[in-house]
Amino acid sequence: MNFFIQIIVSGLTFGAMYALAALGLALVWGAFNMLNMAHGIIMTLGAYYALLWAEIWGLPLFFAAPFAAICGGGFGVLVYFISAHWMLRQRNFEVTIIIATFGLGMAAEAGLLKFLREEFRTAPYSQPLSLGADSFLVGDVPVSYQRIVVWAVALVLIMLVGLFLTRTNAGRAIRATAQSRDAARLMGIPVKRVYVMVLALASGLAAISGIMLSSFKDVHPLMGGDPLLKAFIVIVLAGLGNITGALYAALLVGMVEATVKVLVADKYGFTAILVLVIAALIWRPAGLFGQRVVARQ
Amino acid sequence: MKYRDLIIFAILLAIAIAFPWMGVKRYLIASALIMFCYATVVSQWNLVFGIAGIFSLAQVAIFAFGAYTTAVLGRYMDLTLWYAFPIAGLAGMVFSFFVGLACLRMRGIYVALLTLAISQVMFVLIQTDSACSPLNQRDNPATCVSFTGGAQGLGGFGSFGWRDVLGGRNWILGDYYTMLALLVVALIFTAAVTQSRIGLAFKALRDNEELARSRGVSVFKYQLIVFAASAFLTAMAGGFYAAHFGAVGSNLVAFPLLLFLISMLVVGGIGKAWGPLLGAFLLMAADEVFKEFSDWRNIGLGMIVLVFMIFLPEGVAGAIEAVSKRATRLWTALRRRSSA
Repeated sequence: MNFFIQIIVSGLTFGAMYALAALGLALVWGAFNMLNMAHGIIMTLGAYYALLWAEIWGLPLFFAAPFAAICGGGFGVLVYFISAHWMLRQRNFEVTIIIATFGLGMAAEAGLLKFLREEFRTAPYSQPLSLGADSFLVGDVPVSYQRIVVWAVALVLIMLVGLFLTRTNAGRAIRATAQSRDAARLMGIPVKRVYVMVLALASGLAAISGIMLSSFKDVHPLMGGDPLLKAFIVIVLAGLGNITGALYAALLVGMVEATVKVLVADKYGFTAILVLVIAALIWRPAGLFGQRVVARQ
Repeated sequence: MKYRDLIIFAILLAIAIAFPWMGVKRYLIASALIMFCYATVVSQWNLVFGIAGIFSLAQVAIFAFGAYTTAVLGRYMDLTLWYAFPIAGLAGMVFSFFVGLACLRMRGIYVALLTLAISQVMFVLIQTDSACSPLNQRDNPATCVSFTGGAQGLGGFGSFGWRDVLGGRNWILGDYYTMLALLVVALIFTAAVTQSRIGLAFKALRDNEELARSRGVSVFKYQLIVFAASAFLTAMAGGFYAAHFGAVGSNLVAFPLLLFLISMLVVGGIGKAWGPLLGAFLLMAADEVFKEFSDWRNIGLGMIVLVFMIFLPEGVAGAIEAVSKRATRLWTALRRRSSA
């Protein structure tokens, strides 16, 4: 029974983190078929920004996080104007943007490694899993309140994004652009501004996801690489551009990873996810929740 | 067109054969042979990506797979590496065949993400492999080396063996010409595939996919063939790499090598016949020139990839083609005007 609770607790945490990262990726892909390989570095930057603001200003993490998200969003805008903005007209934009943002991400990562190598923190926000004032017992398993905060933040943010997409004009513009870029343009939607907005939103979410990551992982220039790949796996599993599906898939992937980590060994988590996803994709090549769509030319 | 390529090939080959005898320093010969190795990998990648249109990021994983297979065969089965290379090549083909079988039915972008994930899984599995392998305790039970060597890497599996034949001074020439031979085979193979029915099928698919499909051209089948076949030479290159350095490590599957190779592909020109050679040469040369700034290396490589994708997505080869086409047009226009 204990390991079962353990799996659920850590699975929900992984799931929450992947959901935020994957939500951003799916939004950006939906809006203009861009897969942002620099998304991982934004997660890393989010964690660093949070550290920075929390330490410089002596703010508690909870107040530093929104500033970090804004900085992350700003970096997303920068990514747009450095790469995608100049490439929108390219024939196979889908492919070239992956390579371009891969280069950008690697350059940024190498830059962080060069200049912030000393700024290394061992899981700065992790809370001890022993029973104390910070945690409570479920069965025999101590669950820290921090985990609850992580789940709550993820849930609230996802709901806010949902409300934003369905209730506001800007959100409707994003969805319209995702449905048909040309029709949206004809309706007078400034699609390029929508692209910038989507990237800013996605990057802000990535930054928060990075802060969540720093609650159990070390803050390090390379920290974003692994979760980025898992977030990619999540959106592939869900079917590219399927936003609701991505949330379920994130939870599923988080649970599978936690199960393998608890029952087998830490290092086989990723392998298990990949095997699962490939099996799922052989069964449904367009993703679990995807429909076969005619590729947009 | 074809004659011109043949002449260029012959000239380059002559230069490459003569290069070690032109009084160059030893480390330049070593750099050149590593360049041949990378050029082999990139030429096969170009075949997979540029010709067959498979956006695979698993080429580095296949390369590492070949290197590790060679290392494991040499170390645990005491196999002479010359027997280990073809086995590694075949093992790479089988590996790649299964990767292709799993991924190639999906859309192009899915392939990129899945193959990248496969490389990362391989990296994680090697990096975290720390259980002592009994195979390494045969001679000395106290040693604890894991099967793949884990984060430390694996050595002690032999080399090409040129040291015994050519002596302690000239063994590098043996390595050099072996690597050159591999590259030549890789280039001939690439050209042969491009000219063959398979190349024709991909050309048809590129020009008009619907029509080609309706005429019975199966994308999946041809892509799988090219993906698996190209893995043979990629894995062989991995084996040669392992033999030259005498050690393998998880850095063979890590992102920096992927970045280095992808920048060769991009700078040379994706899908261009001379792209891989050009890219490998330019980037190895740049690596040599900027050696003192090695801690800027990955920053620079990343920026190079970004800038090329924005401004020169066809690479240097594409740019040369465009310039020469414009020059010919200008030349004919001028001639017509002067004759009129």
